[in-house]
Order: sequence, then C-alpha cells, then structure tokens
Amino acid sequence: MKKDMIIKRFTIKNFGKIHDRTMELSPGINVLYGENESGKTTVHTFLKSMFYGIQRQRGKAARTDTYSMYEPWENPAVFGGTLWFENGGKNFRLTRNFYKTDQSWEFLCEDDGEVLDLEKGDLDAVLGGVSEVVYENTVSVAQLKSVTGQDLVRELQNYMASYQGTGDSELDIGRAMQMLKMNRKGFQVQAQKRQKETEKEQEKLVAKMDYIRSEMQNLNDQREDLRARETSLHMTEEENGEAILDARIEKIRKNQKSFYATLLATVIVALAGIFVLGQVLSGSVLPRIVVGILGILALGWEGIHIRNLSEELERRQRMKARWTQKQEKMRWNRENLDEALKEKEKALENLQTDYQEMQDNVYLPLAQEMEIEALNLAMDTITRLSSNIHKYVGEGLRRRTSQILSEITGGRYTEVLMDEGLHMMVNTQERTVPLANLSRGTMEQIYFALRMAAGEVLCGRERFPVILDDVFGMYDEERLAAVLGWLHKEQRQVIISTCHKREMEILEKEGIPYNRLVL
Amino acid sequence: MIRFIHLADVHLGAVPDRGCPWSREREEEIWETFRRVIASISKNPVDLLFIAGDLFHRQPLLRELKEVNYLFSTIPDTQIFMMAGNHDYLAQDSFYRGFPWEPNVVFFERESPMVVKAGELDVYVTGLSYEHREIREPLYDSLKPEIQDGFHVLLAHGGDETHIPMDRTALGASGFDYIAMGHIHKPQSLIRDRMAYSGALEPIDRNDMGEHGYIEGRFENGQVRTRFVPFACRSYQKLVLTVREDSTQYSLEEMMKMDIMKRGGKNIYKVVLQGWHAPETLLFPEKLRALGNVAEILDETRPAYDLEALSRRYSGTLVGDYIAYFLKKDMTLVEEKALYYGLQALLETGMNLK
Repeated sequence: MKKDMIIKRFTIKNFGKIHDRTMELSPGINVLYGENESGKTTVHTFLKSMFYGIQRQRGKAARTDTYSMYEPWENPAVFGGTLWFENGGKNFRLTRNFYKTDQSWEFLCEDDGEVLDLEKGDLDAVLGGVSEVVYENTVSVAQLKSVTGQDLVRELQNYMASYQGTGDSELDIGRAMQMLKMNRKGFQVQAQKRQKETEKEQEKLVAKMDYIRSEMQNLNDQREDLRARETSLHMTEEENGEAILDARIEKIRKNQKSFYATLLATVIVALAGIFVLGQVLSGSVLPRIVVGILGILALGWEGIHIRNLSEELERRQRMKARWTQKQEKMRWNRENLDEALKEKEKALENLQTDYQEMQDNVYLPLAQEMEIEALNLAMDTITRLSSNIHKYVGEGLRRRTSQILSEITGGRYTEVLMDEGLHMMVNTQERTVPLANLSRGTMEQIYFALRMAAGEVLCGRERFPVILDDVFGMYDEERLAAVLGWLHKEQRQVIISTCHKREMEILEKEGIPYNRLVL
Repeated sequence: MIRFIHLADVHLGAVPDRGCPWSREREEEIWETFRRVIASISKNPVDLLFIAGDLFHRQPLLRELKEVNYLFSTIPDTQIFMMAGNHDYLAQDSFYRGFPWEPNVVFFERESPMVVKAGELDVYVTGLSYEHREIREPLYDSLKPEIQDGFHVLLAHGGDETHIPMDRTALGASGFDYIAMGHIHKPQSLIRDRMAYSGALEPIDRNDMGEHGYIEGRFENGQVRTRFVPFACRSYQKLVLTVREDSTQYSLEEMMKMDIMKRGGKNIYKVVLQGWHAPETLLFPEKLRALGNVAEILDETRPAYDLEALSRRYSGTLVGDYIAYFLKKDMTLVEEKALYYGLQALLETGMNLK
C-alpha cells in the first residue's frame, strides 16, 4: 500500500486574490502555470495554511503578516477553503476558515467517516511529525535568492550546513553563537567593571589605613622625642629632676640659715669684744673702736653674702616653678599623644574590619555571573543538540545529495564534499572543484539535489509532495530534461509552479506524463 | 503619662554602598538624622530614650563618644538608656568602657542583665551590652520584671541564632510592659504595642528597603501605645518597570524618569524589569543607571515567545529540540534564562524573519 502523502484536490473559497477555484492534482508531476502575479504563490500559501493554520504576528508586524496579505478584500468573513488529501492510505477532507473572529475547521476521515479534532493534534498526527518548519524546509522549495556568484556560494554552503546542523535551512548557527558570545562579552565587561570598582574601593581603604599608620608613626615619633627630652631633664624614676631641684633649694636655705647664725655670732662676738676690751683697757677707746669697726665690716660682708644667698634662692625657686610647668606641659602632651594614638589604633582597627567585610563580599556571586552562566548553557546546549542532529542528518544528507547530483548530471559530479570550515566542493571523476569555480547552472543542480535529499532525510519515513516554486529559471534545456526525468523516475507528487512554458514543452518532448493546472 | 522614643541600629560611622556616588553623602546623613532626632527631642522632650544597640557601626572612637555625649547633654530632661550591640560591642579596649557619660545617660556596661531605675520615675529598664561580636546564649528568654508597680522595659538586641536567640512567645509572656528591640533593620512590630524592632533609623545599605525611622510611645494607666515615625531622609525602594511588546529603550527610560520623579529623585532604587519584550527589541538595562540613584538592576524580562506554538512549529529541527530539551524538566532560573537567550539568538539571527 502506498504510504505517500498526496494532495488530491483543493478548493479555494476565498484566499487572497483567488475565489472559488477548484483544482485536481495527479499523484505524479503537476505543472501549475500562470503569468507573473497570477496567484501561484497564493496557491502555495493556501496549501501551507491549510495544514498549519495562519499564525498572526503581534503588534506592528501584524500589518504585513501572512494573514493581512491574504485576507480577501471582498467578503473577508469567508477566508479559506477545502483540501482533499491522502496519507498513509487514508483519505481526508479538511475545511478551514481563517477569519480572525470566526475561525472554524472541519476535519474528516472520508474512509470511515471519523470526525477528527485539530485542537487535539489529530492533524499533527496525520502529518506524522512534519512540523511547519520542516514543511518549509522540505515540501516547499523556492528559488535561490542570491544573484551573484559569491552570495550563491555562501547561500548554498549555509543551506548545507544548516540542514546538517539544525535541520532548518533558515537558521544560522554561526551567527546565533556570535550573538550569544557578544551578549556574554557585554556581561563580562560589566562584571569586570564591578570588580574594578570594588578593587578601587579596597585600594581607597588601604590608602586610608596607610595614612592612619603614618599618622600613628608620627605620633610615636613625637612620643619618642618627648621621652628623650624627659630623660635629658633627669626625669627618670630614680633620678627625679624635681628632687634635685628641691635638694638644691634646701641647701641654699641651709646656707642661708647658717649665715644668719654667723651673723648673730659676729654681732655677739663684736659686742662681747667691745665689752671685754672696755673692762680690761678702760680709758683706751681705740681698741674698742677697732673691734667695733671690724665687727661692722664683718656684718657688712655677711649681709652681702646673705643677700646673695636669698637672691639665689629666689632664682632657684623660679627655676623650679618653670621646671614644674614644663613638666606639667610635657605630661599633658604625653597624655594627649597617648590618647590620639589609641584613637588612631581604633580607627585603624575599624578600617581593617571594613576591609575584611569587603573581602568576604568579593566572593558573593554577581548578577552578571548568572547571565554569563545562562549564556554558556545556551551555547553548550545548542552545540550539543546540533551535533546530535548532525549525527543523524549530516552524513546521510551529504550522501543522498551526492547521489541525486550524480543522477541528474549523468554521473559528471559524483560527490558533494564539505570541509571543516563548511566549504563545499564537488568531486568530478578526476578532481574536486570548489563551489566558487562552478557555473550557476551546476550550483542550481546542487541546490536541487540538496533540497530533494533534505526532503527525504528530514521527513523521515513520510514522503511528502514537493512544491517547486519557479526553481528552473536558470536551467538550460539539457539540465531541465535531466531533472524532470529524475522527478518522474522518483514517482512522487510534484507541483512545479512556473511562468514559463519550457517545463511543459520538455515534459511533452520527453514523453513524461503530467497534469496541467492553469491559473 | 510617660513618653518615650525607641530607636536602634543607627550605625553611626557606616559607609553605605561603597563605590556608589551617594556613598559619602549617606555616611554624613546617618549622623545628621541622629542629630535631628536629638534636636526634635530637645524641642519636644520625651521622658525616655531607648537606644537598642548598634548606635555605632564599628568600635566607637573617643571623639565620637564625646560628640554623642554632647548631643545627650542637650536633652537633660530625657533619661537615656543605651547598650552596645554586636557591631559596637564592648571590646577589651573599647572606649565605651568607663566613659564619663552625662548624668541623664544609663549605659549598660556588662554582658549580664541588670535593672536600672530611671531617676524619680517609676520606670525600670532591664538591659545588657554585647561584650562579644556573637552571643549564642538566649540571655533574654528567662528575664522577668522584678517589681510589680511601674513601667517595665526590656532593652534587647539580637534575635537570630548568633546574636542572642530569642523565644518570642516566652518574651511576650514575660510581663515586661515594652520590649524595645534592635538588630533587625526592618521596622516590625512583633506584639502590638508590646514588642517591636524599631528598625534602623536610616537605611544602612541597599538591603534595607522601605521606610525607616523610630518608634514613639507612651505609657499611661498601665497601657503602652506606640506608633512608627518615619524619619529617615531617604529610602531604598523597589522600582518595577513592566515592559511590553511595544516597549523600546526610549519608552523604558521615559517610564523610569516619570516614576523617579513621582517617587522622589533622592531615593535610591532597586530597579526590576518585568514583562515581555518583543523578541527583536534589544534593551540595555545598564543604561538606566544614569537616570537616578540606581543601586541595582534586575532584568527579569523575557522575549515574547509562545513556547508551545514555537515548539510545534519547529518540531523536528534544532529550535524544536532546543525548546523541548529545556521544557521537559523543571527549569532553574539559569536554565530558563538560557532557554530564552538561545532561542532569541537562533531565531533573531536566522534568515527567516517572516
């Protein structure tokens, strides 16, 4: 029993510019012929929309989305049609209305009359896991977009690489990874900035601590200085300067006292001398006068001496007062210095605590680190999943592409190769030729082979119709004949849409049966 | 009637948010707000002022104690009760030890609880000071007021595992008329009019979100009534900006400018971006920092992708595999971010921009 998916018939009720058209399709080659702007693309979009619905874009994008482009101008409440298709040997009928406020559908298995439910995923099941994007990558084949050779090479290589690594020709893993890396770079720069800021703050703290340390050093020096001066003033415990001064004053006082005693003694001796002489040598005045004079002289001398002594005492006492004052000042200085030092020590201690706290916070994760981790995970996951796909698509796709290419070129090119840098080459029987050295026609053939191979590899067991949208424009007659011959040989449903008559002429010339649809 | 003010966690000397442009200013503001409290008491004296620990952020310097003591001397009619908390704990060589306080100041200088009567008032305050950075013993749980008559207050600092753990139920039933608590920076009443954290007087860093101030109360006929008085000169606030699919960097910036204008340019904001942005729109949250005092930016926005629809549409290709890989498990935050980062990169760099 045939397992292929075949579109048998469709009726476009109202879709874009097409109204009330029904077309019957053959299970083999169909040629959809129409002038430019006659609605070929409308037919393709209709078919895809029947299978996958129309996703509305949000916001501004809605103005130019598929819905708006194909919304009928007249009678927009009727927006859709009916599709009859066969899959897995069963016949289905699917009717849809896409109108935004009145979306409806009816899905029926015609063989057993079973009513199926789109919302329960019955259609997905019937399509056997061929999702919308897989459909875009396999069923629907558009012409190459590039005009110039260089772009063409790039486009083709990208197709191949994307198919092999993602199963989706529209994806560009390289650019996606680039974007993720740039994103990561942004966060890394931010994180570094934060880190630098923290370091700067730490440096500031260190500078503050250094400053306090130098202030403490300064205070310490002053204290040393003070201590030296104290020592020079005999300010040690054993040899107290105060005691020395006091002893000196005491000595002068004693001296003074003894002089007062001497003075008294002198007076007594002189008076006694005068008295005794008067008794012994009465009448003779002279000796008494002499003694008296001597006594007066002695008293005078002693008086001067006493005055000197009390002057010295005063001096000494003044000295002591000065010294005490100085000492007071030094003690006060020392106490101030000690207090300042203690204060600085505390301040330093506090700064050290600040620094420690900061150091502990350095290990807290930054918000950016989480973003970086997420970006790394994204990149790793993409790489891993892509290499998975590569495992089951990559080599199979390359081999099947080579085979098809060989068949449609009559064995001229036997193999498609791809190096590590994703550069494509083809193998002729004699040598490998880089893509850039091939003619446009050959590149078109490689593209065709690749797309056909992708259809087989990516859809898995299911064989879907192939819709070729204007892809043979650049083919010469010989190449076209070979490709059409190959399509016929493959015995699958093909819809060739074209604005040329060449395809039909060649099909007729080659005697290949086809179904003609004219728009 | 006895009127009192309860404050805590002033953290004089703290340098908030080092490296941020407002750091210096905040350092000064913490002092300034404390001076303002004292000035307001001087204008309108209360009977009692409770300072429940951490008046200083670190070990107080002598000149700082002198300054605080001078401030206390300007409110001689107010009896002040204060303690050292875990931040300004009584280290061996702490200047707190033996400091000659004004006569209206009671400073608890021991780590064991003691009761002090407030002058002629029938007020009995139980308190202690931290002599260590951490105290793991529940020093408060078994305390009970001794005398029957009068206003019985417990001055308490801590409440977590390493700072005097507290059994709130036991304390609630202890018989104190009011328990003035410190340590937790967020103001919160544990038992209405009976037991409360006044919270930090000024927020100390970006983690202290919301309003800050002190608690004002009165004791009358055996009944305590309290109310929270917002007093901080600015606050840290969460600013949520909801992004929509039509948002752009410009509209986001305008939205933030408006919000900041409404809520005060002086406040410091923790900006959270939420919502869904158009997948093709690139937003630069870091640029929002220039628009005000922004302490932190959290970007929780996601590109507006309908994951289910995408996973159906892309089934069988890398994008489908990618979504399925993440959706089949309970995603962590990082995985969710990774999902959207990868998806956006794959879809926005593709040639298919239909």
